[in-house]
Amino acid sequence: MKGWVDFVLKLHDMKKQKWFRNSLPFWLILPTVITLLVVQVYPTLYTVWLSMQDREPAGWIFVGFNNFERLFNLGQFGESVGLTIVFLVGHVLLTMVGGFFTAFLLSQKIHFSGLFITLLFIPWVLSQIIVGFMFRLLVAPEYGVFSGILLDPALFPPNGLSVLVAPPPRPWFGDFPFPTSAALGLLILASTWRALPFATLLILAAIQMVPLEVIESSRIDGANGWQIIRHIMVPLILPALVVVIFNIILNGINGVGLVLSLTDGGPGTATQIISYLLYSIGWSRIQFGRAAALALIMAVVNWILIMGTLRVTRVEERDI
Amino acid sequence: MKKRLLLITLVCALVAACATPTAAPTSAPATSAPVPATSVPKPTDAPKPTDVPKPKDMVFWTQFDEKNLDPKIDSFVGNEYLRATMPQFNKAFAGKWNWVNVQRDFSKMNAELITAVQAKGDVPDLFQISLDINTFVSNGAAQDLTAWASAQPWYKDLDSGAIKACTATDGKLYCIPLSVRPQVVYVWKDHFPNGYPKTPAEFIVQAAALKAKGVSALTYFGSTDGDGNGITRGMTTIMASFGGKYDDGNGRMLLNTPENTAAIEFMREIVAKGYVTESSFVGKFQEEVAFKDGKAGSFLQGLNGYLFLNTLTAPSGKKYAKGNSNDLPDAVAAGDAYLAAFPAPAGKTPGCNLAASGLIVPVGAKNLEGAREYINWIMTPDQNPQFVLGAVGGFPALKASLSNPSFQTPYFQQGAKVVAASACRPWFGTLTKPAVAQPIVMTALYKLIKEDPKADIAAALKKAQDQYNAEVK
Repeated sequence: MKGWVDFVLKLHDMKKQKWFRNSLPFWLILPTVITLLVVQVYPTLYTVWLSMQDREPAGWIFVGFNNFERLFNLGQFGESVGLTIVFLVGHVLLTMVGGFFTAFLLSQKIHFSGLFITLLFIPWVLSQIIVGFMFRLLVAPEYGVFSGILLDPALFPPNGLSVLVAPPPRPWFGDFPFPTSAALGLLILASTWRALPFATLLILAAIQMVPLEVIESSRIDGANGWQIIRHIMVPLILPALVVVIFNIILNGINGVGLVLSLTDGGPGTATQIISYLLYSIGWSRIQFGRAAALALIMAVVNWILIMGTLRVTRVEERDI
Repeated sequence: MKKRLLLITLVCALVAACATPTAAPTSAPATSAPVPATSVPKPTDAPKPTDVPKPKDMVFWTQFDEKNLDPKIDSFVGNEYLRATMPQFNKAFAGKWNWVNVQRDFSKMNAELITAVQAKGDVPDLFQISLDINTFVSNGAAQDLTAWASAQPWYKDLDSGAIKACTATDGKLYCIPLSVRPQVVYVWKDHFPNGYPKTPAEFIVQAAALKAKGVSALTYFGSTDGDGNGITRGMTTIMASFGGKYDDGNGRMLLNTPENTAAIEFMREIVAKGYVTESSFVGKFQEEVAFKDGKAGSFLQGLNGYLFLNTLTAPSGKKYAKGNSNDLPDAVAAGDAYLAAFPAPAGKTPGCNLAASGLIVPVGAKNLEGAREYINWIMTPDQNPQFVLGAVGGFPALKASLSNPSFQTPYFQQGAKVVAASACRPWFGTLTKPAVAQPIVMTALYKLIKEDPKADIAAALKKAQDQYNAEVK
């Protein structure tokens, strides 16, 4: 009898150990899963639910896709999308060109390159709000650092350039907001200044991975600096460039702090990019259902960009 | 050994998960001030006869912070008021209520309260309202106070304009008004020595003379900052002075009227001729600087402007630089500045926007009794003036409070004359969704006046009103 009991107990212990061994990964990742459920999954599901609701004094009422429809019919939505496209194109172009140029310089053997890299990072550690206020102080009428130059009619005929007030020029293509207003141009500059360190660092890392032998061989073959950059360096670092572009676009689409502190969406609606519109609909107009609908649309765009980034990085890993 | 390693790994994973930075949840708002913990008495503890009962918290959301001692901050006066008043209330209700102030950002507090109510989160017992009541009502955030308020002894003494500002489109009272803040024009006497112009034509003549001296006649909040916040300030005063308004009296927006068109044409003219400061359209309250420096002759602002307009330099060079809320009243008392109504065409009464500052009891408030007792405590001729003078400015909603010596100064006496000569009313009229209307109207007006002064006024106004009416159908 004792033997049987011992056998059963031993079997029970073995089963317990096996069950524990098999389920251990689940228990180890459970805290992370709970955290993700609480801070990502639940808010996402709630946003989806909210995007189909409208608020009456008595409570929420289900309106289906009415919020999406009203959003697309909102004249400001189309304008915001146009402004966002113009903003992103300008922001990405300037950041990539500036970042590549800076990274190329830093990749050469120059003195104090470590110091330059450290200084380069100052814009990146500043918050969007601070950057916005800084750039605003540069151009504010009456006391801005550059306001004396900008308001000079000789330099900017006929009445000088009041960046924060100048109306946007007449659009060239229907209602598409191009050319940009001076305020949107300032917004592009400010966001480029802030994003430059990030782009520079990633591009610099990619440039430093380019084999020196390839560069030297091309020099021996007679290629000049521009040819080396265009035909050798850029193709080799192209996957990294694409990743940088996607990241810049992601940050540009989602950031609202810079717009709020620099222009507050003005003058008029000249800098009301999509992230500002989302903030305005949700927090100023208190139309949470409509804001949730817009947030979902932006989430889909973000998802596409992230998938694109992942795809490019996977292709890069496969090639390696 | 293996088991020990697994156990250590499990503990590390738990600790790491707890340390993971989390995004703020979208529903329940965070309170900025910690609520004092209440200790649960053990079952064996028998209350002693000499024990003082622990007061229940009465949570009040305001834009002020009694812990902020910075003298330069805009809300310094209100912060000081709370520091002085909270102990008074707690002493008056010792053992019963404990006033807990939770400071909220002025630009976001309305949305935060509505979010808290809709998400059934932590809702305060009282909320300080400074803007339109209809937004709270249409979002189901404010309790109907009609029956209770009308039974209180102070109700009959309330200013009728104040009651109107707290009455929603359904005719019910949803807030208790503490002060009314009409819009007035602050004027530097040196720039307008013969009195402020009474008509638009007079204004243009005097403005031209000022421009020749390098001075702008007018500065005002003309930008689209704050998602159209300008409509709650000078913009409505200008439109109303021409007889204009934004609604049809039945909850629908009506902008395309001859009166509104006339107002816009006037503004176009004075902006184009340079009689208005450029900073009026820049935002971030930069329009104030020109008046404070004496470079603008007049400034459209609420009667509570004295709370923020400090460190002034009169055109004569005389400085009013105490750096506090006495500077502007001092300038008025000295005769360097005065208050006036905005010019109105012949046959029209100067208009002004009337905002009320008051108290809402949010839906879901837990301490209704405490909230009501607070309201009764503050709606007395002793406390009401203190709140008005110390926190929000304007005229007290209780008529008996007007006899307080603080309201007999030249500043308030002139303000009373301006209001008596004007037709003041809340800008939103019968519009049920003012928060939606605000950016639509202000953007339309800004574009017509400043951005595209050649645009067709009727078409733009019609487009804006159709946009709002489609939103609320």
